[in-house]
Amino acid sequence: MIELYHIWKQYQKPHWALSDVSLEINSGDFCFVTGPSGSGKTTLLKIIFRELFPTEGQVLIDGVNILKIPDHKIFRLRRTMGIVFQDFRLLFHQSVFENVAIPLRIIGLPYKEIRRRVFNALRQVNLHHKMWEYPQRLSYGEQQRVAIARAIVNNPNLLLADEPTGNLDPELAFEIMTIFKEINKQGATVIIGSHDRELIRHFGDKIFFLQKGKIIGKEEKK
Amino acid sequence: MSLRQLGYQAQAAGSNLWNFRGRNLVSILIIGFSFLIIGIFLSLSNNLTYLGEQLSNNLAISFFLNRNINTDELEAIKQEILNTGLKVEIKHISSEEALQRFKTNFPELQDILSSLNNNPFPPSLEVRLKEKSITLLALSSFMDRIKKVKGVEDVQFNQEWVEKMDSLSRIVRAIGLFLGSILILASFFIISNVVRLNVFARKNEIEILRLVGATNTFIRLPFLIEGFVLGFLGSLLSLGILFLLMKLFPLYVGSSLGAARQLFELRPLTTEQMGWLIAGGIITGTLGSVTAVSRFLRV
Repeated sequence: MIELYHIWKQYQKPHWALSDVSLEINSGDFCFVTGPSGSGKTTLLKIIFRELFPTEGQVLIDGVNILKIPDHKIFRLRRTMGIVFQDFRLLFHQSVFENVAIPLRIIGLPYKEIRRRVFNALRQVNLHHKMWEYPQRLSYGEQQRVAIARAIVNNPNLLLADEPTGNLDPELAFEIMTIFKEINKQGATVIIGSHDRELIRHFGDKIFFLQKGKIIGKEEKK
Repeated sequence: MSLRQLGYQAQAAGSNLWNFRGRNLVSILIIGFSFLIIGIFLSLSNNLTYLGEQLSNNLAISFFLNRNINTDELEAIKQEILNTGLKVEIKHISSEEALQRFKTNFPELQDILSSLNNNPFPPSLEVRLKEKSITLLALSSFMDRIKKVKGVEDVQFNQEWVEKMDSLSRIVRAIGLFLGSILILASFFIISNVVRLNVFARKNEIEILRLVGATNTFIRLPFLIEGFVLGFLGSLLSLGILFLLMKLFPLYVGSSLGAARQLFELRPLTTEQMGWLIAGGIITGTLGSVTAVSRFLRV
């Protein structure tokens, strides 16, 4: 369960990126955080995986205040998560395989197992035929799918995705959402930052509406 | 960290060393030349120490005795010399022997001697030190002690030359230490900066690794391996150049220096000194990396 209490975030005075945001996401939820550009979606997601600290407020994941975890122990939290960054954050001097394998190499899995899991993750995003290509030779949409494969390769408990379908054509976006839904069915909590109304309408079970850093509404499908 | 992860990190370090080979070569050269200077001074110091030892081995002190000295007094002096505990070889030179020696060594001055009515040379005790090394202070206290014994008139010893050798050896060691320290410090900062550039070039990678759950040790390790390798290769390079210098320098100098040539014969470093040079290179390289990476781990 993810609980955010009175989160305030300020990058520069006097503007607040997030103002008094409180929300609860249950384990196994499939939810969207939506709103126009600059509404604070990315900031909110970054606070949940602790790339950013809020100016005020508390973040609890399964009852643990993640803001109090010391820096040298934060890796344990992150190993339970899969993150799709808005800017992909791929390593361009490493192959697709090597990029997707990073979370598995970190935990020291044997090469055979890494190969099997990377292949499966790439097959899920329909990129297994480009396993040995380098990211700079892939299209924008393909790079995005590599980032998604890296996020799902270690079967995370929590999957965070910031605009994961932003550059994909509607058909592929739909496919990607289906993959996320599949991971969700296996027990993972999925939080997606997106402004794609069509996808949200189709897939969203729980939707938080953000505007100018404030939660202005919440919708839940029964 | 498992062996598998270690292998992965070593592989990452290897590819990074290759990818940034130009920059890494510069660091190896800098470490190499810094440690070469230290090696040269060490070698010079070895040489001077060797010369000093040779000198002490052949060190002879002459105690000139009273002409009317009797056997008891002579024995008392010998006993006093032995009582000092120093390893010595004592030889008694009578007035006649001294005269004979002078005649043999300086035949052209025989005429002067014949014009004298009596033998001008006093009897003496020639004391040859067998100690491997002896300090000047110990030597002068030894001489003072013997000089006070009844029957000893004077002492002759070429102290000035020994003192010069001693201070030269100390100066060489001090310069070596001073220059060496500066150069080691400089190479430490250079390595640190080279690694920092490498780290900066891989800032994205470090950030990604952090965000997908890598530990600091996991991130730090390839850089430490790189620092270790750079330091090791740098110090090996310095030993290689030093070896070449030792082979080529005597050939270049040739025999033109005559007796002084011995000073320029670079004696090889001892195995222990070579070990210390390599260890120094490795420590400098690794510490340089530790400092550089630590600054980037606060992602």
